[in-house]
Amino acid sequence: MQNSDGLTWAILIATLAMLMMAFFVILFVMFYQKRQLHQEKKLHEIEKDYQRLLLDTALNSEETERRRIAQDLHDDIGTMLSLTKLSLNQLSKLVTESGIKEDQIMRKSQALVEETILHVRRITRDLVPTTLERFGLSAAIEEFINKLENSKNLKISFISNTEEAPRQSQKTELTIYRITQELVNNSIKHSQCSKIEINLHINSKIIELQVTDNGIGFDPDALRNNNLTGLGLLGIESRLAIVDGTINYEKPKMGGSKAFAIVPVVPATDSKPEPLHPFRRQRATI
Amino acid sequence: MLLIESYLTFIHNHLIVCLAVFVTVIPLFLILYRKANVDPSFNLLLIYLVTKLIIDLIMFHYATQRTNNLIYYNLSIPVRYALLSGMFYFKIESGSYKKGIIYSIIGFSVFTIWDVFYSNPDIKDLHNHSMVAYATTVECLLMLFWILVYFYEVIRMLKIPNILTFPFFWVCSGLLLYYSSFIFIAPILHYTEKWENPLYIGFLNLVPYIFETLCLIFFSIGVWIFSTRYYAKQ
Ligand SMILES: Nc1ncnc2c1ncn2[C@@H]1O[C@H](COP(=O)(O)OP(=O)(O)O)[C@@H](O)[C@H]1O
Ligand SMILES: [Mg+2]
Repeated sequence: MQNSDGLTWAILIATLAMLMMAFFVILFVMFYQKRQLHQEKKLHEIEKDYQRLLLDTALNSEETERRRIAQDLHDDIGTMLSLTKLSLNQLSKLVTESGIKEDQIMRKSQALVEETILHVRRITRDLVPTTLERFGLSAAIEEFINKLENSKNLKISFISNTEEAPRQSQKTELTIYRITQELVNNSIKHSQCSKIEINLHINSKIIELQVTDNGIGFDPDALRNNNLTGLGLLGIESRLAIVDGTINYEKPKMGGSKAFAIVPVVPATDSKPEPLHPFRRQRATI
Repeated sequence: MLLIESYLTFIHNHLIVCLAVFVTVIPLFLILYRKANVDPSFNLLLIYLVTKLIIDLIMFHYATQRTNNLIYYNLSIPVRYALLSGMFYFKIESGSYKKGIIYSIIGFSVFTIWDVFYSNPDIKDLHNHSMVAYATTVECLLMLFWILVYFYEVIRMLKIPNILTFPFFWVCSGLLLYYSSFIFIAPILHYTEKWENPLYIGFLNLVPYIFETLCLIFFSIGVWIFSTRYYAKQ
């Protein structure tokens, strides 16, 4: 039998030290992992915020640019055209006496100017949704539909409850309006449909927009995977990302396609954009 | 009757040693109950627990008969190492470490067999069979290395959202504590576990058993928080 107190103590101490080290390794892994994850998450959030800010700025400047172009068109070219029309009217009085041929050319020019004025007005209205700003979503969408529904073989129906709901923030309204425009345009352009149904439903928490057509339909996942998404669908997504909205595409059994967008309601702020024409002039005279 | 009586006296006299044997049932049962063996690592753990239980029970039986049972312990060393390091084979992602694990299993098995013959010049004399001299220490070092490699990967890759709810972290921590407690005791076991003229180290002898029990409890925690859904998501 051997006895060895010294050895026992040495081993005991060594074992304790080793255990302490093991314990610290475990603690270290736990805390380091947690801290690292936390940091990563934070970084991710910052990046996301930054992306959103970039997008927001880009879209904002797009809208501002449209507004500016519309303003210029309206103020400069519109005014010039009106003056041209006036001059032509005066000229036509002189021309009527001189002959039939001249009179014909005169009338033609007048008609052309007339038409150009209409075109400019239409373009400015398309560029800036003045109806949206003044009368709200359903009025703007209705106006948009009326313009499209000229052809006999396309029927667009619009159901909404926005009359009862309060006005939304300007950004949200514009988002919904632009999305509706793009979805309806897509249906007309790509789906060869004969019927489009727009459903707009607003309650105190969310805004739901549904655009359904009875055309050929499409598979959004396949588009995304094959990199076929056009600017339109991407634009919808980036617009929605800014207002925390989502969009889903379904393929109903009856055929066609159905887009379903949801945007949360944010309390409206008073910061309206600089209104176009009439108000600006008023302000200028003050 | 006599047999049961001798069992009970042995349990009474060596409570801590026996605890390490019987606690094995808990993680074993939990793995089956939680169906944790869908994960290959936990499947190996299950196999390990089953072999450990069988070998421990055999050793327990021979211990009560006051017969030398160390040959079973020596044989269980390479099996234990193969199964436990095999778990890390499925958890560690780096290819070169994976290869290292495979080679180490083969190398270690050969080494243990050599060690058995080295420590027992007369291999036929089962009564005086003694514990391997180096194999357990080498096993400790290797296992600690794989555990640290695994922890290093966990820290580097940041794939696990909450490590406290990650089953294999508990398994790993249990193993780390067990092997840390064992590493300095393992080299002298060769001198203490002897039929003739053993070295007495008093209560130190019990330390590996205590930490074996602790390790098994850690396994149980790990298996308990294992959920099949989580595994499917990985
Ligand atoms: N309502 C729809 N019906 C059928 N196909 C559609 C519809 N909307 C979109 N698509 C398909 O998705 C594609 C991408 O649309 P979009 O992003 O708006 O780009 P663009 O309109 O410029 O082609 C279209 O080319 C079309 O094939
Ligand atoms: Mg489009």
